Amino acid sequence: MKKSVKRTESSIIIRNVFAYFISVLLALGVMSVIILLFGFNVSKVLKTLLTASFRTSFGFQETIKKTIPLIFTTFAFTLPFKIKFFNTGGWGQMLFGATMVAVTGLFLSNSGITLPTYIIIPLLIIVGILAGGFFGLIAGFLTAKYNINPIISTIMLNFVGVQFLNFIATNSYFKDPLEGHPITLPLPKSATLGFFGGIPHSIIFAVVSVLFVYILIKKTRLGYEINAIGYNLDAAKTYGINFPRIIMLTFFIAGALGGLAGTFEVMNIHKKLVEGFALTSGAQYGTFGILTSLIVAGNPIGVPFSAFLMSVLLVGADALQRTMQVPVELVFLSQALIVLFIVIIRQRFERGR
Amino acid sequence: MENEDLVELRNVRKAFGEVVALDNVTFSVKKREIHGLLGENGSGKTTLMNILYGLYSPDKGEIYFEGKGVKIPSPFDSIRLGIGMVHQASTLVPEFTATENIILGTEGDKYSLPLDREREKIKEISKNLGVKFPLNIKVKELSAGIKQKIEIIRALYRGAKLLILDEPTTSLVESEFQELLKSLKALLNSGVTIIFITHKIKEALQACDRVTVLRRGRVQGIEKREDTNKEKLVKLMFMEKEIRVTESALPKVELPPCKKSKDPVLILKNVTVEGGEKSIGLHNVSFEVYGGEILGIASVSGNGEKELAEITINPYKIKNGDILISGKSIKNHETLDVFANRVFYTPEDRIKEGVLPEGSIKENILLGHHAKERFIRNNIFINWEEARKAAVDVIKNYNVMTPTEELAIRRLSGGNIQKVIIGRAFVSPINLLVTHNPTSGLDISTVEFIFKKLVETRNSGSAVLWINEDLDELMIISDRIAILHKGELKEIFERESFDKYKIGLLMIGG
Repeated sequence: MKKSVKRTESSIIIRNVFAYFISVLLALGVMSVIILLFGFNVSKVLKTLLTASFRTSFGFQETIKKTIPLIFTTFAFTLPFKIKFFNTGGWGQMLFGATMVAVTGLFLSNSGITLPTYIIIPLLIIVGILAGGFFGLIAGFLTAKYNINPIISTIMLNFVGVQFLNFIATNSYFKDPLEGHPITLPLPKSATLGFFGGIPHSIIFAVVSVLFVYILIKKTRLGYEINAIGYNLDAAKTYGINFPRIIMLTFFIAGALGGLAGTFEVMNIHKKLVEGFALTSGAQYGTFGILTSLIVAGNPIGVPFSAFLMSVLLVGADALQRTMQVPVELVFLSQALIVLFIVIIRQRFERGR
Repeated sequence: MENEDLVELRNVRKAFGEVVALDNVTFSVKKREIHGLLGENGSGKTTLMNILYGLYSPDKGEIYFEGKGVKIPSPFDSIRLGIGMVHQASTLVPEFTATENIILGTEGDKYSLPLDREREKIKEISKNLGVKFPLNIKVKELSAGIKQKIEIIRALYRGAKLLILDEPTTSLVESEFQELLKSLKALLNSGVTIIFITHKIKEALQACDRVTVLRRGRVQGIEKREDTNKEKLVKLMFMEKEIRVTESALPKVELPPCKKSKDPVLILKNVTVEGGEKSIGLHNVSFEVYGGEILGIASVSGNGEKELAEITINPYKIKNGDILISGKSIKNHETLDVFANRVFYTPEDRIKEGVLPEGSIKENILLGHHAKERFIRNNIFINWEEARKAAVDVIKNYNVMTPTEELAIRRLSGGNIQKVIIGRAFVSPINLLVTHNPTSGLDISTVEFIFKKLVETRNSGSAVLWINEDLDELMIISDRIAILHKGELKEIFERESFDKYKIGLLMIGG
């Protein structure tokens, strides 16, 4: 008996991989038709889209740079989704984390306080965790206390996050007077992270976050309680699981992970706070985290892979726009198609069981 | 005319994978009779009826309706033939009124919904049947008994000549059952034939003209009511198993003498719980439960038994009074603290409150024990190996039919799910078991198993607080029975002075 169960488990994995493969093929098929209708060369477009990340080391580095924040924002969505709640606020949590890290770093340097690297870096990371976590906690608290749907509260907080970032980036205390655009002064060098040959140091934290979420969900009491609530809230309550506490904790951790996405954007990529970030790549990371999570149905081990796939498409889209003047919307369309096909096909497979 | 068959299923076979659910079953129903289909959970009753209703197609066999061979590939076809089915769980849309529910899925006029016209039709049908229910109130506000009537009327509205009732008494109280019987007689008089699916021998004997007994997918016998009795039916249902039954066709389990503990395990002192819109609350309830005894709580549903069960695990809901476990007050404690005091609980609604349907048996066994030392390290990490062992033990000791402890619990049958829930209560040692309607909807052999488990728990010196709406069951293995009416504790009877009539009267406030 035991053996057959093991076998079905591995066959499920094979089937899932197969399903993803089919979905991507179908999406590319539909996309080819659309590309053709737009009057572009299909094979050239697809080749650029799929290989931009791998042809040059620059392309690959760019892809990893996008994968890292996406992993964090994906987890920000994944955890609350386990209790059937939508955290649509990964974006705001990320921006608030980024902003508070910049504020703290610049406040220290503007005040003439210089801390050694081994203090300031952990300090800023903790600030980012707490800031993002705080944003998440607001949503969790409103749900626990007043039964407010987190979709509403987190979307509202996204606007707060965007405006607060703008406020800081344009504030004369923080703004870089030499820059024409609203951009803050750079962080002190001691507060920034470097690169392993083009790959940001923050990749270490991304890997740690995968392990952290995996262990949290599979091995800990909190993870068990989160799953139990997701399976059946009434039974979980009957057997002593404290719903308000768990939902607040879950949203805090989710927000903290979102906050880390912004933290490393500031400390590792921009090394300052850029107003444009909120609505460009920031918006991508914040919102695509939802898709990336749905693609792998919240499986933490799958998250880095789906984040990488999404980043390949994002980098490919940039390349298409630059080299072939293909409208970037076409690529977004293909991303939407891939997600849609994956969800449909997985549903079909699950019904078949 | 009277003896003609309305429907016949001939040599039907149906297998799900390797499991043969029905094996060469021939089943026929005469016009204008109430025909019982009796069998344990999992004997194939529902599968057979789902074939007749067009939800499953048989692997082999034929169906004859009014003498003609028919194919029924979908429920549309069965409805067209004049077959209506009332399922065990309500299939009404809670947000719709009775009228809206009844006409749902039928063809109205092209562009309008002729609610008024149809409402008259519905009134006509229900008048003929002698039933009354509000037509313009959202169904979610109505009781289970009334909802069932609406489902029956819906089938008749669609022109049913044959009505299939799948375990129609599961959510009914005794008085509603009697009313249902009356309605069925009226239906019979108006020319409708009825198939009555049940696992309760008592009901089959009360309701049906003839009974077909199924066991493990085979017909064991067809009995006329005049020529049969409960012993015969038990024998047909359970062949090899020896189950002794009481007057009311319940399993007979002995309650040997047992020494009560010196001090009570559970004490309620003047407990008051505020009532609300939907609950009556508790008023000044006091009683004790000793180790080595089963205290049965008898009450008609909605008289405070739900609140009583609730406060044993959520004592913070008590407004006035006190609750003590082994002499220690647990008022204001959280559920897990109560469990830590060697208490465990099995809820009334096993699917809604009892299990994590998508979770594995292992995850379900852990529920409620997950903060206990055996299963946790540093209060952070779950010891899954211990949880697995506990699950394997429960599966073995309680004879849960499953290939593995990793199976999602929703894939088990109702009886097996309840075994897991009961088994979970004994994963850690307990001094008090609080259990609410643990036998509802289960077949007689599982009921016997649960009775034995409760007695065994009591014999080992633990206290059992058994809240149950079936008085016949309570009388079999309770040491004492307390009656709850309108949130007040009426009287406590000692076993020597159990009197069904007196207790029953007190339950309804007499």
